[in-house]
Amino acid sequence: MKHVKQDLAKSTGRAHLIMHPQDNVTTLLDDLCDLTALIGGGSVSPGISFGHKAALEAISQGSSIIKYNVTIGHATQNIKAGEHVHVHNCR
Amino acid sequence: MSTIAAESQRTSSKDQVMGKDRDSPFFQGYLRSDGRVGVRNYLLILSTISLTNRWAELAAAGQENVVVITGDFLRGLRGEDAAGQEDVLAKLIDHPNVGATLILCFDRVSGKNWQDRQAGHKRPARILVLMDQAGMSGAVKKAQTTVSELDTLCRQATRSPQRLSSLTVALECGGSDATSAICANPAIGRFVERLVRAGGTAIISETAEFIGAEDVVRARAVSPMVANKALAFITAADQRTEEDGDRYRGVNPTRENIEAGLTTLIEKSMGAICKIGELAIDGCLEFAEQPSKTGLYFMDTPFFSPVSLTGMTAAGAQITLFALGVFNPSGNPLTPAIKMCGNGKTLSHWADSIDVSLDGLVDGAITLADAQEKVAKSVAEIASGKQSRAEFWGEGQIIIPKTTALI
Repeated sequence: MKHVKQDLAKSTGRAHLIMHPQDNVTTLLDDLCDLTALIGGGSVSPGISFGHKAALEAISQGSSIIKYNVTIGHATQNIKAGEHVHVHNCR
Repeated sequence: MSTIAAESQRTSSKDQVMGKDRDSPFFQGYLRSDGRVGVRNYLLILSTISLTNRWAELAAAGQENVVVITGDFLRGLRGEDAAGQEDVLAKLIDHPNVGATLILCFDRVSGKNWQDRQAGHKRPARILVLMDQAGMSGAVKKAQTTVSELDTLCRQATRSPQRLSSLTVALECGGSDATSAICANPAIGRFVERLVRAGGTAIISETAEFIGAEDVVRARAVSPMVANKALAFITAADQRTEEDGDRYRGVNPTRENIEAGLTTLIEKSMGAICKIGELAIDGCLEFAEQPSKTGLYFMDTPFFSPVSLTGMTAAGAQITLFALGVFNPSGNPLTPAIKMCGNGKTLSHWADSIDVSLDGLVDGAITLADAQEKVAKSVAEIASGKQSRAEFWGEGQIIIPKTTALI
């Protein structure tokens, strides 16, 4: 794994980590739940807790949720870009 | 956007030789007569059956350097469970971290059995039988006197410089959350790569944690035979969860995992496997089976940490590398657990229960190489005698899985 240092001075969004370039979810790594932008670009729903996932793009019902470049589950409903991805919409 | 590039290189653990680690001393340990090295010199009071648990507890009261093991050790076990229970207890008595043992039995037949088993063993052991005593008061006094005698013998053992290759390390993660896969597990993975390449041994377990990671396990196994054995373990665990239907939702991933953001078992498995870094799996072990060669092993155990730690301790692990996300109080009475964590909240709330902080990996303040150094330093210190936090709190139980109903 290669870690890329965050530029904290330019922190205009939420810190997050995409485990693999082919993933369609990212993992939030701060508590700034009110922010609606991700560091580096992209929108994120407010209120997603540290350690939880947000969709990087729209994911339609039945499609794969991809993290670590593997299917970790499937969308049980349509998911918008930036939306919280967890047990309520991923199995 | 921050990304982690997945590395695809896989190397067999035997290929790389780390000259420095192979020759230089890494820690101060107790060299036992069977060639194994202890990181501790515990005086063990082992209650071989639950009937003698109180006797063991009373005998231990007020004594220093004593570890008491009182489990749910039973009569009425059937089939392999009876032999399995005795086998694990024998392995605990023989464990390299144990300097001397007081073996407490209930009946004379059991006492004779353990006497015969201990014949020819070099490390001091005494067997006491409750039915030979007259009254609990006398029984406790007799046990306490025996502990004092054993203590004198135990203290004759001394530490000497030992190599990294003397270590067999149990790998564990508890309270997994998103930081486990980013911080604690990969940091452990880097150290385990170093350990195994230097000629040491590591054991990963908790078979159900690998459901969903079958392709990764297949790719990592050093041979098709090893892959098939590991996959057979995982398939069996998967079938058991399917037979029980939806009942595992909330059991694995656990409620704490889900609260912390882990959604599915596959997601949890992918994080868990970071603990083995880039290493190949050299072999598979049954519960409590001792490896015959060095390397990285996959042991078939239940997913509950006290049970998996029991299996890996019985196999000879002297130290546990324990990755935390949210807090988890597991440990093992004979194997000091080194708790490491990358979650800032957990580190702050549970500062008195965690040994190594790795939250610098979350924002890239430290590199994985730095993290490995931190882990290695902690292992060297704790192996050489520094008490781990889990050890200070006395965490852990011996729990032996049963496969059949009791008589």
